[in-house]
Amino acid sequence: MASRWADDEADKAEALRQKKEKEEKKRLKLQKQQAEQEAAAAAARERELESRPAKRRRLSNDTGSQDVVSQETPAERPLLRFDGGGWGPCRHVSNFETLNHIEEGSYGWVSRAREISTGSVVALKKVKMDYQQQDGFPITALREITILQRARHKNIVSLHEVLSGSDPSEVVLVMEFLEHDLKTLQEDMPEPFLASEVKTLLKQLTSALSFLHSNHILHRDLKTSNILLSNHGHLKIADFGMARYIPPPDARLTQLVVTLWYRAPELLLGTETYGTEIDMWSLGCIFGELLLKEPILQGKNEVDELSRIFALCGLPTDRSWPKFWRLPNAKGLKIPRDSGAKSGGVIRTKFPFLTNAGADLLMSLLSLNPEHRPSADEVLEHAYFREQPKPKPMEMFPTFPSKAGQEKRRKRSPNAPKRGEAPGMQNVDFSGIFANREEEQAGAGFQLRVA
Amino acid sequence: MQPSPLANPLATVVQLETSGSQLDGVPQDLENSIRFAGAQLTQAAGMLLRLPQEVIAQALVVFMRFWIGGDGGSLAEFGAEQVSAASLYTTTKLSAWPKSPRSIINAYAYLATLPSLSPPPEQPKPDSYYVSEGTYQTRRTTLFQAEQRILQTLGFHLHVSLPYTLCITYLQALDIFSHPRAAELAKRAVAYLNTALLSPQLLYLTHQPSSLATAAIYLAAKETGIKMPDVEWWEVFDTDREELGFLVVGLLSVESFAEEERAKWEGRSIPMTVEELEAEMKRGDGGN
Ligand SMILES: Nc1ncnc2c1ncn2[C@@H]1O[C@H](COP(=O)(O)OP(=O)(O)OP(=O)(O)O)[C@@H](O)[C@H]1O
Ligand SMILES: [Mg+2]
Repeated sequence: MASRWADDEADKAEALRQKKEKEEKKRLKLQKQQAEQEAAAAAARERELESRPAKRRRLSNDTGSQDVVSQETPAERPLLRFDGGGWGPCRHVSNFETLNHIEEGSYGWVSRAREISTGSVVALKKVKMDYQQQDGFPITALREITILQRARHKNIVSLHEVLSGSDPSEVVLVMEFLEHDLKTLQEDMPEPFLASEVKTLLKQLTSALSFLHSNHILHRDLKTSNILLSNHGHLKIADFGMARYIPPPDARLTQLVVTLWYRAPELLLGTETYGTEIDMWSLGCIFGELLLKEPILQGKNEVDELSRIFALCGLPTDRSWPKFWRLPNAKGLKIPRDSGAKSGGVIRTKFPFLTNAGADLLMSLLSLNPEHRPSADEVLEHAYFREQPKPKPMEMFPTFPSKAGQEKRRKRSPNAPKRGEAPGMQNVDFSGIFANREEEQAGAGFQLRVA
Repeated sequence: MQPSPLANPLATVVQLETSGSQLDGVPQDLENSIRFAGAQLTQAAGMLLRLPQEVIAQALVVFMRFWIGGDGGSLAEFGAEQVSAASLYTTTKLSAWPKSPRSIINAYAYLATLPSLSPPPEQPKPDSYYVSEGTYQTRRTTLFQAEQRILQTLGFHLHVSLPYTLCITYLQALDIFSHPRAAELAKRAVAYLNTALLSPQLLYLTHQPSSLATAAIYLAAKETGIKMPDVEWWEVFDTDREELGFLVVGLLSVESFAEEERAKWEGRSIPMTVEELEAEMKRGDGGN
């Protein structure tokens, strides 16, 4: 497999990979039996689903049913047996030994570890327990665990079990280990991903989103550091620390979600009712980042972020976003209402190597008006995925040396919204900041009038 | 290996053989009595808090899961009332109807003033019941302790697939709703599903929702005299004759079990806390 790294580094990585592969094979053998059983059950279920409408019709037709049913002997009617798993108490963390820390934050950590009894390598994540004496076990941690338990998809990191430590508030997730996250990986890559590679990544990411959204789950913190990539080009979404089920319509939600650089404009403007569109905005940011190899909207604060968004995507107009002026934080904002063509976006010029279909997809994901953003299912159907170059097959993906597999990583930018922090956007005055940005904004093709 | 999202995790044979309470010397029939009373208490508290039956049902299954198996919770360590309250608290927290520790504690304080195994009154006045600030602080601490223990004992397996929606879907598939007394049948079937939640045989822990729904429909059809298709229709809903038979007997026996319990505990209260259990066990020892 091709490596883009200096030879010795590549050799080391390759040797490590082979060793890992051996370990992995051992473990897989053990799992194979289980997997086969599962496949059989899944097949049985599919068969069942196909045959069920026919059976139902027979049932409502009383006269005909007798002879049809009597043709089947009991042996020919294998009944579906569901497998719902079981439950048991959390095992103790001492069943695992830490190999190396991957990431250390202020609350918790993620590390690569080995299960002592089986030798299998996993990722351990200590759950953030901003223990609130008011509410018992933190709801965010509870959501992270219960949502991950149910979100079983090939492009979502799989949760094996939850461990507890000697201190009752110590809760540790056991997940499958993946070699990279997209942020760290891109920082170390000399060149951006190829167009065909971006396509494969985006497709996997969108499939996961489609699954989540159709199961009424919002991720609410999509960003490259929360997206994992295996050495085989397999992408999986991680970090469900902000995720939640979509509540009943019109329920008020905190707008303090999503790391700043990936936060949709309606959130910056203080909306309390939002939906899957906020994840689609983040997807657009990630798409752009994969193309350029760096985050595309690196705002310094909420107001700066919004200015950068307007500079990239254009100004909102009454026609493009009628509900804009009703958003809580829009009041402080002074924007010429009839700015015309000059206020258009510059996405096309910022991504000169993108095909027209690609630019169309990116622009639609970065629509200011959430209602104009495509759903995950619509993205999957987009012409961009059908045109040349075709998505690169996963097995053709290059391998990269894994930082997570070897050395400790530095702490990342403190951009993630903090849990429990009070919603902070209500009283921000937008007008002042725009005055300081005149030059940039003139360059971006529109003028802001400060009243 | 990856569980189906439609299915429930079920208790294993080993888990059903013993329990944390039995290992601590609590006689099995006493454990059954307390668990049954605790389940009824959960149902009553849920209704008092005006929670949808789906949420109450989830809390009930969580409550039942907690006590099962040698690794399960023990009545010698946690009172049934405490675990009932914590099951309800954790379940509502994840639902669209979260309840504050204070409303949970007040609801249970109110229910503690009623005789055990009695249905909640038609017009309850829970607002008139609240505990002193000191009592509130202590109870909140025990509520959170029990919550923590439930989560650990269940390995965070709080998810419960319920048979209610399935039951309606099955009735549609069976073309029942064209029948003039379909509503009565549906009502009875749902009542059986609610009864099954209290079952001392732990039916929700040993059978999948599809089979529970099927058995409830079977019984409800018998009782309303509505004719079902002349075939082994339950097989379409993934239930074989043997399982159906077992569930029918199980469902029918809950009512008689409830009557026996009422007779057995006539004039006495069922021990719902650790202290009450200790007293009851001393009394029992003395009697032998
Ligand atoms: N299953 C895994 N395999 C390998 N590395 C992982 C895994 N899960 C997480 N990581 C690494 O740990 C980092 C932090 O993980 P995660 O985002 O889940 O934690 P977090 O503390 O909630 O992060 P945040 O700072 O976004 O709140 C990821 O960016 C990734 O590099
Ligand atoms: Mg993260």
